Amino acid sequence: MDYGIYQDKLTRIVTDIARSHSLWILAYGTGCGAIEVPATMTSRYDAERLGVRGAATPRQADVLMITGYLTVKTLKRVIRVYEQMQDPKYVIGFGSCAVNGGMYWDSYNTIKQLDLYLPVDVYISGCMPRPEAVLEGFAKLQEQIRAGEARGATKYKDNLDYYRGNQKKIIKNWDFPDYNW
Amino acid sequence: MEGILMSILGAIATFLLAFVVGMTYGGIRRKVIARVQNRYGPPIYQNFIDAFKLFSKTTAVHHGAMHLLGPAFLMVSAVVALMIIPVLRDNIWFTNLNFKGDLIFLIYIMTFGPLGMALGAGQTGNPNSAIGVTRGLSQMVGFEIPWVMALVALMIKYNTTSVVDLMNVQNEVGQWLIFQNPFAFVAAILASLGMFRYAPFNIVGAPTELASGPASENGGKFLFTMMSAGSVFAFVKLTLLVDVFFGGASNLIELVIKTFLLYMIPVMYGVVNPRYRTEQAVTYFWGWPLLFGFLAIIYSVYF
Amino acid sequence: METFLEKIKDRISVNFELDRSSIDVERKRVDVQIKKEQIPSILRYLKENMNFRHLMHASVVDWLEEGKFEVLFMLWTPKEKIRVFVRTKLDRDNPVMENLDMIWPQLNTYEREFKEMYGIEFTGLVAPEEFILEDWEGPPPMRRDFDTEAYAKDVFSERIGREDAQDVRETIAKRSGEVIPDFAKKHSR
Ligand code: SF4
Repeated sequence: MDYGIYQDKLTRIVTDIARSHSLWILAYGTGCGAIEVPATMTSRYDAERLGVRGAATPRQADVLMITGYLTVKTLKRVIRVYEQMQDPKYVIGFGSCAVNGGMYWDSYNTIKQLDLYLPVDVYISGCMPRPEAVLEGFAKLQEQIRAGEARGATKYKDNLDYYRGNQKKIIKNWDFPDYNW
Repeated sequence: MEGILMSILGAIATFLLAFVVGMTYGGIRRKVIARVQNRYGPPIYQNFIDAFKLFSKTTAVHHGAMHLLGPAFLMVSAVVALMIIPVLRDNIWFTNLNFKGDLIFLIYIMTFGPLGMALGAGQTGNPNSAIGVTRGLSQMVGFEIPWVMALVALMIKYNTTSVVDLMNVQNEVGQWLIFQNPFAFVAAILASLGMFRYAPFNIVGAPTELASGPASENGGKFLFTMMSAGSVFAFVKLTLLVDVFFGGASNLIELVIKTFLLYMIPVMYGVVNPRYRTEQAVTYFWGWPLLFGFLAIIYSVYF
Repeated sequence: METFLEKIKDRISVNFELDRSSIDVERKRVDVQIKKEQIPSILRYLKENMNFRHLMHASVVDWLEEGKFEVLFMLWTPKEKIRVFVRTKLDRDNPVMENLDMIWPQLNTYEREFKEMYGIEFTGLVAPEEFILEDWEGPPPMRRDFDTEAYAKDVFSERIGREDAQDVRETIAKRSGEVIPDFAKKHSR
């Protein structure tokens, strides 16, 4: 009888539960959406009771929130921030601008498909999504984590060529350090 | 042989106790803050979940040997301090390594961890860490003086530098030291506000201002180590205060009640206060706490 | 108030050769248009001799049909609380102007923006190349003949499902039976 698999499975289940109940978010305040995050965190909606809590730096964070439209210039920073975060890490796209360009669909400087450049786990629609929707998004993410489906970091690592290709297509003057972890 | 085994088991039990109690207190603190802000707040065991999650994260990046050692320094200083302090009175499990002169050693070892952390934070090269470290050291200059004065007052009065002796003195007289030398207690508790680094003295790790200061480059297991070291250290400080001023505790329940009540002082002081600036914090400690420190020494010399 | 505004207008037009001038009593505003060579001297005169110390705003309008850029400076005096608009028209094909940031240092920022967004050159401007856009290689994006939609289609891929997105202006006009005049149709997005 080989107990190794069961052991692995048990560890995975326990860690996934712990991870799903402790999401430290790095709210990358692009666009209009940054203003919904305080509302979600404070008294009325109190995301901390779900274990959602702000993190100060990318190194400590689990969830990267892209709160709104993303210009090419910001995308450059977002990619660096994402690559500094430690595994396992998740990305939440926030608002219709992150989903498909929103009202900036014909802007000369705004990307329209976030998942071409970063592996997005959950999209929250709305312009702007209300805190209820944000909490729902977190609940969805927790569900995904518990089911073992939110493996964005692995996806990014495995398909690095694809993501890099897309990123390099729109970011001229590529001067990034290598992604090596 | 049996004695050694007993000591090792006792040390492990002490550590586990300190870890669990410290973590739970941290969770209670978060809950208290949430209730004060009219929120529901995270569950009390939230800190354990956070710690476990941090432990299960990969830590693929480091900035050199000192950076790796920084959190370890914190942990070492916390554990060594824990091993020196008598947790319970006359208990074979928790006697640990206390010796004559441990009070002086404790004063030293309690600053050792933050200093090691400062070295580690310096090597990360993050400007926020450097600012946090300078702030931390200035704050330490502030609160160490009343803290040491309070302890020195007790040493002068009872002519001993041992925590166990102080506990025995209180037992013989039948009166806690908080009543025998209240000035020393006030100075010590005000200094411990700074030692706990909760608001308004959280200028070191100010999350919104400094991006958590010295910890800003530390994620995953580094942060786990720092978090557990912080919890153990909180327990150490509380137990020391209980031992010195409240006659120690003869069983765990008494210890938990006493430490919890003491712990609520910095927490409650914190939830209603915003953050000080560095120079405000230092002037705070060099104001009333210092005065009480002087009074304590005068009181123990002349009365 | 009207006579006062008239007096200001007269005083300006005595000293400078204006293309056009008007007053707006309701908004307490004097509006003058002038050749671009005279801009530094008129701004300096208004600032130093007539106490219009505060530069409220500077902006550019693209008159595509005329082939001109209109540069606009809005000045304000704190004492009488009156505004003076100084306008000048530049040739759209060769928009060059003199650097003005010694009069108001904050004009430096405005000039960098004009340079980047409209391609207006300021002779003698000392400033870094890039202002807001990073690694921008296309034409100045705020010019009206720059087709942002085509550019966005070309550079950023669109998510499937948005192809039937309609022109808001047209859709609302159709629904309410409004007639959009021809000149408004073209660049209305
Ligand atoms: S989705 Fe709406 S609210 Fe959000 S960034 Fe875009 S325009 Fe702003």
